[in-house]
Amino acid sequence: MKKTKNVILIILLVVVIFIVGVVASGVGAYNSIVGSEENVNKALSNIDTQLQRRADLIPNLVNTVKGYMKHEQDIIDSITEARQNLVNASTLEDKDQANKALTDAINQLYIVVENYPDLKANTNFIALQDEIAGSENRVAVARKDYNEAVNNYNTMIKRFPNNLIASMFGFESKEYFQADSDANEVPEVSFD
Amino acid sequence: MKKIKLILLALLLLIPFNVKAIVPPMSDFYVNDYANVLSSETEEYIIDQSKKLAAVDGTQIVVVTVPDLDGEEIEDYAHELFKSYGIGDSQKNNGLLLLLALEERLMRIEVGDGLEGILPDGKTGRFQDEYMIPYFSEDDFDKGMKNGYDAFYSEIVKLNNLDIDYSEPTMPSSDISYSFAEKFAFFVFIGVFGFIIGVNMGISMGPFTKKHKPLGYTIDIILNLIILLCFSAPAIPFILGFIFGLQEGMKHPYRTRYGSVRNRYYDSGSSFSFGGSSSSGGGGHSSGGGSTRHF
Repeated sequence: MKKTKNVILIILLVVVIFIVGVVASGVGAYNSIVGSEENVNKALSNIDTQLQRRADLIPNLVNTVKGYMKHEQDIIDSITEARQNLVNASTLEDKDQANKALTDAINQLYIVVENYPDLKANTNFIALQDEIAGSENRVAVARKDYNEAVNNYNTMIKRFPNNLIASMFGFESKEYFQADSDANEVPEVSFD
Repeated sequence: MKKIKLILLALLLLIPFNVKAIVPPMSDFYVNDYANVLSSETEEYIIDQSKKLAAVDGTQIVVVTVPDLDGEEIEDYAHELFKSYGIGDSQKNNGLLLLLALEERLMRIEVGDGLEGILPDGKTGRFQDEYMIPYFSEDDFDKGMKNGYDAFYSEIVKLNNLDIDYSEPTMPSSDISYSFAEKFAFFVFIGVFGFIIGVNMGISMGPFTKKHKPLGYTIDIILNLIILLCFSAPAIPFILGFIFGLQEGMKHPYRTRYGSVRNRYYDSGSSFSFGGSSSSGGGGHSSGGGSTRHF
């Protein structure tokens, strides 16, 4: 009698230890998934910050350029409009689209600047050009960091046993930020 | 099978993230002259200065030159370098990277997050325009890099109120810039010139004992004074030379004593350096701020 009681007790103990182990590792996995998701969110809001920073530079640019360019109102208007779209955009996709439009408009401006040597040599304008190029690069870096964070997160929730926890608590894989579409697109060449 | 394929695909997708042919940090860390454009004096100077700065508040300034960028954008290359070297303190993020790509003729300054306040992008661009590019466009990479380094170094020391010696950069605004040795030689030349005129005049005035002088004596003195006035701009060495010359000449018969000139502004050689410890990055972070220039 005593012997069987002991055996049952040992089995019970093993089961309890096993359950405790599983729960503990489950909690650990859950926490690391949450942490990883938090990194993704942080990277995402960082893109937002950098886009905002970029938008903030534009009024300064427009004011500097205005005094020199009397005949390029179209370009100045298109920059102002693109900036307004960027500020008003709510989703990240919209913001990215608006940011691209803004880049195009600014590039248009840089082309016509060649006709205004005084503006081109203006130290304030040169500094603004650097600030804008810097903000562009910061957006690119923030985007790359985001993709890296998403990559970490996605691989984490697919790995065993994390995938069990992930499906139990409804963690879904996240989408990558698409690379610059115009940078990757092969230009169409027609021969007709 | 399907799963294996997926894994392989995922691995293939990962490759572009990792294949970055950036140069590894050299043992001295602060100078990595892969393009071989810096003199050993400049390298030693930069390593010394950077060590001093890092010892004070963890600010790290790293100079990298590469022969080419291996097809990468300089912005990506610089950021990758910054990240893998971990330039600057991990808490303060006060790192600064000066990257020169020789073949592409590009220069980039990458600023750590903690230094963005005192070195905004616009300022880094201006510093390049003013202190580096004029030299780079004449292929004087050594001078341009040292001068640019001094510009950033002194700005950081001044604006962060650090207690370190620094040298001001030179602004190569005028095309003619004389080195110290050239200026010194010029003054010596003027001084000797004054000396000769002085001797000339002294001889015509004669020894102190002579009481009466002929008319030629007055004319000689006036002529010499006119020549003296013509050189009023670099007057100090001239007058000094003149007075010495006058004294010598009036001793008649004169003993010329052109003493050898010794340059007193020699380097005392008391630079402070830390014994042999090689440095490494502190894990600083950059968001991609800075500026790029073509030269």
